[in-house]
Amino acid sequence: MSHSPAPSSPELLLDQHVKYIKELDTKKNDLEYWLTEHLRVNGLYWGTTALHLLGRPEALDHDQIVEYLVKCQHDNGGFGGHIDHDPHILSTLSAVQVLITYDRLDAINVDRVVDYITSLHNPDGTFSGDAWGETDTRFIFCALNCLSLLKRLDDKRLNLDKTIEYIVRCRNFDGGFGSAPGGESHAAQVYVCVGSLTILGAQQHIDADQLGWWLSERQLKNGGLNGRPEKLEDVCYSWWVLSSLSMLKRVHWIDGAKLTKFILEAQDTETGGISDRPGNLPDVFHTNFGICGLSLLGYPGLVVVDPIYCMPRHVIQRIGLADKH
Amino acid sequence: MEGRHGQKKEKAESPEALKAREEKEAVLVREYLGLKDSLKEIVDSNRRDNEALKITTALLRKSPDYYTIWNVRRTILKEGFLDNANEETANIIYTNELEFVQDNLRLNPKSYFMWNHRRWCLENMSKPRWDKELGMVGKFLEMDARNFHGWDYRRYIIRQVDLQDGQNKDTVLARAQTEFDFTTAKISQNFSNYSAWHNRSTLLGKLVENLTEQEREATVDNEFDLVKNAIYTDPEDQSAWLYDLWLIGREQRSISTLGASVISFNPLEIVVAFDEIVKLRHPFTVSTRIDHVAIPLAGEWRATGSDASLGSVWIFQQAPEVEYGPSVEVVIFSDDICAVRAGSTLPAAVCFELETLNQDFASISGRLGRLEIGKNLMYDVTKRIGPIAEPAGNLETQERSKKHLVTSLTTSGSMDDRVALLDREIASVRELVELEPDCKWPIQILSTLLSELRKTMSIHSSRAKEIDDECIELQEKLISIDPLRQERYEDRRTQLVFDRETLSIVKDSKRLPEVEFAENQPRDLDLSMRGLTHIPISSYFIHLDTLNLDSNAITSTRFLRNLLSVRRLNLSNNLIERLEGVQHAPSLEFLSLEGNQIAKWEDVMAGFVFWREGKLSRTGATVKVLLGLNPVVENEGGEYVLEKRWEDVGEVGVQIQWQTDEVRLAEEVQLRDDEGVIHMEGTRRVSATVVEFDAGAGH
Ligand SMILES: [Zn+2]
Repeated sequence: MSHSPAPSSPELLLDQHVKYIKELDTKKNDLEYWLTEHLRVNGLYWGTTALHLLGRPEALDHDQIVEYLVKCQHDNGGFGGHIDHDPHILSTLSAVQVLITYDRLDAINVDRVVDYITSLHNPDGTFSGDAWGETDTRFIFCALNCLSLLKRLDDKRLNLDKTIEYIVRCRNFDGGFGSAPGGESHAAQVYVCVGSLTILGAQQHIDADQLGWWLSERQLKNGGLNGRPEKLEDVCYSWWVLSSLSMLKRVHWIDGAKLTKFILEAQDTETGGISDRPGNLPDVFHTNFGICGLSLLGYPGLVVVDPIYCMPRHVIQRIGLADKH
Repeated sequence: MEGRHGQKKEKAESPEALKAREEKEAVLVREYLGLKDSLKEIVDSNRRDNEALKITTALLRKSPDYYTIWNVRRTILKEGFLDNANEETANIIYTNELEFVQDNLRLNPKSYFMWNHRRWCLENMSKPRWDKELGMVGKFLEMDARNFHGWDYRRYIIRQVDLQDGQNKDTVLARAQTEFDFTTAKISQNFSNYSAWHNRSTLLGKLVENLTEQEREATVDNEFDLVKNAIYTDPEDQSAWLYDLWLIGREQRSISTLGASVISFNPLEIVVAFDEIVKLRHPFTVSTRIDHVAIPLAGEWRATGSDASLGSVWIFQQAPEVEYGPSVEVVIFSDDICAVRAGSTLPAAVCFELETLNQDFASISGRLGRLEIGKNLMYDVTKRIGPIAEPAGNLETQERSKKHLVTSLTTSGSMDDRVALLDREIASVRELVELEPDCKWPIQILSTLLSELRKTMSIHSSRAKEIDDECIELQEKLISIDPLRQERYEDRRTQLVFDRETLSIVKDSKRLPEVEFAENQPRDLDLSMRGLTHIPISSYFIHLDTLNLDSNAITSTRFLRNLLSVRRLNLSNNLIERLEGVQHAPSLEFLSLEGNQIAKWEDVMAGFVFWREGKLSRTGATVKVLLGLNPVVENEGGEYVLEKRWEDVGEVGVQIQWQTDEVRLAEEVQLRDDEGVIHMEGTRRVSATVVEFDAGAGH
């Protein structure tokens, strides 16, 4: 069944988004540039992924980025968010994702990355974000995603049955998942938990009808998606909600045409880039997740994105993970 | 979260204003970079003094998510101050830190690292003031009642205090009650506080654990009252409705074993069908009796389909050269399978006895023909024909006491209680449906309640039929008032229609609400023009000879993998883009795909994939596939298409032939990989000839 096309959707401003992403590293006169330094490696992942999906993988200088990423790796194997920033699992995943997208894993010591991630594995199955010990289902997903990309989920130091048990304890009365047992369901936490269980081949712990139902109720009248009941819509939820629905094979449970229109309306027509909602300032995070959402919705001309790994589908195919899940 | 949220884009500025702003910005950048230089000095020189601490304070005020600075700060505190401090001094230091965090939280209530630092302080203090923390977070949730950091922190505090108490049961319960009352207060302030409803659900589960059945019922009734208050206040607010759904709960789903049949004697092949997809944990036990001695029968179980470890139809093939006697028995233990659908279980062991004495299978030579359904011994599994090597499972001879709900709080062993509760709630929500005929929530809840009620009755009862009809109407109403989720309602409607239309295939099992194959299976089924989006339970169709699915909205043909006997299949006028699942439709002779959306020739051919040797692999047989009115015909058609023009003929299609062994073996030699291993599975085993059929043929 196809929906009636939403009236007058704006066009995707492909060239402007490419320009926006390319110029991110030239904004050194803005305080914002410096205040977000700890997100530099994540930002490279968002920008790289967006450019690949836009079909302009060469818009950033790969060699230069690889050289930079190598400088962000610490002796313990983890990557910091920037040179001289402490290692953290969030930036470690981003670095690995960029290197795999560029097919440049050879530039780093992979064994040490695996050592770092397994060193963050706790007896209850969780993973800490860094040596300071914070735990959150987000970090479980970062760890599993990274190990899966590196084909190292069979590492003897892991106890993934415990990890599954822990994630199941994070499941709530509404079928969704939270950041920890007892934590409220939130679309981003749903994404990381559904993604983790999918990577581990344990989707039987998800009530797909109930959760798909809850996820599809995230769509609001204006077409945008929120992350929790009775909250405002936000472009980044296009990804958290839609990828989860995709892993549960229920993307069609929301109105794709209306969501497409909402994302396109959040584009900044002057500077390029996409913001959290129409009329706000864009950033690379929302630019990427907006484009990822459009890709999952089958927007013409975009490279297909993988709903689990949030990387170009052809990259996931190249490393042989496409048919695994 | 990492991105910018809620920052409005300013209108374009005048050149003067822009210049002024840029100058101001430059000062700020210089100042910030100065601080960063100082930080570098500290780190490089390992300074652990007050001056160093001040630098981190200044930086964190500007960039609270700069996590490395929080780490530096903790190191300075620890090594420069705390390691040599007495308890009193240490407490002062930690208290200062808590104040620092609290000041910053006002500006940045969503910074993970800040909340984290607070936990670090409290966990390292000798006497953390948890009561003060609870007061702090209470105020915090007054400012923003939905901040999940705040709620997470609140739960964290309670957990810490519970741990300190050594989990003393009474105080832990009392604390849960206080927290429960806190959610009541929050919900009364604002019914759409979903965070409070959520927390309530976690607490209620704990609180009812120690109640008697009667007290529990009273508690749950109170909850239903609270929900009613909320939904009458704002029937469009989903918070209370989602909670309501949870209170109603769902009948635990039992997997039905539909039946077992022999499909081939040489080699012996047995098919077992379930009503949902399962994974195999242990192979089902197959045994036979030779000279009055029961012996296990070796062989392999595989699911139909490209993934042989997952499916609703399973086929056993005996190991070569093994003899079997006049009857064969299959036992499926509860834990032999695990469901793919959450919460489904096989409630008890199932046992089938299959006749293998009379091997006159003339009727199935060349095709399966009519499958004899094996005798279901599931109520009497102790009368097995002999000892069977038991897998890790237990042979359950008694029905387990059935729990009627998924939610812990309303679980009851009594079917009457369940029906009474459902009837009451149905009556109540019907009132709201009348008051608010265009509000989707009461309609959805009514549909859910009715579906729950249907699980308590025979599938052939007239009440069940009424319910199905009403639920179908409700879905149609929902499609009209909530078009955003149209396809979700269509999927649900499909399930309901499917249940209603397949009543001739299944009957109630003695173990309600399970079902099993009826003795007399229909040969033909007409499901044309039913608005079906998919085939919910394709294992129902293993006996069908002819199936008509003309003019539906079906997108995937993966269900074909379970149509073991189908000879003629009409899928014209659907939404199919790609043919899948023909691996083992061994009897298939005619398939109409006219009027679909198949755009590439490959998408037809890719549907024909080899499964494994045996009854279900056919060599040399041909399948006639009609492809008129598909884009593939209008496109140039690829390399396979004849030079003739398609439009000139009445019917267009392709004759697809399963290859003979000779052709296949010749091709497989070329599929040997570096190690000389032949890739057998998933190998295309067909050749195709494009043909034009005479107009009218095949109809
Ligand atoms: Zn966002």
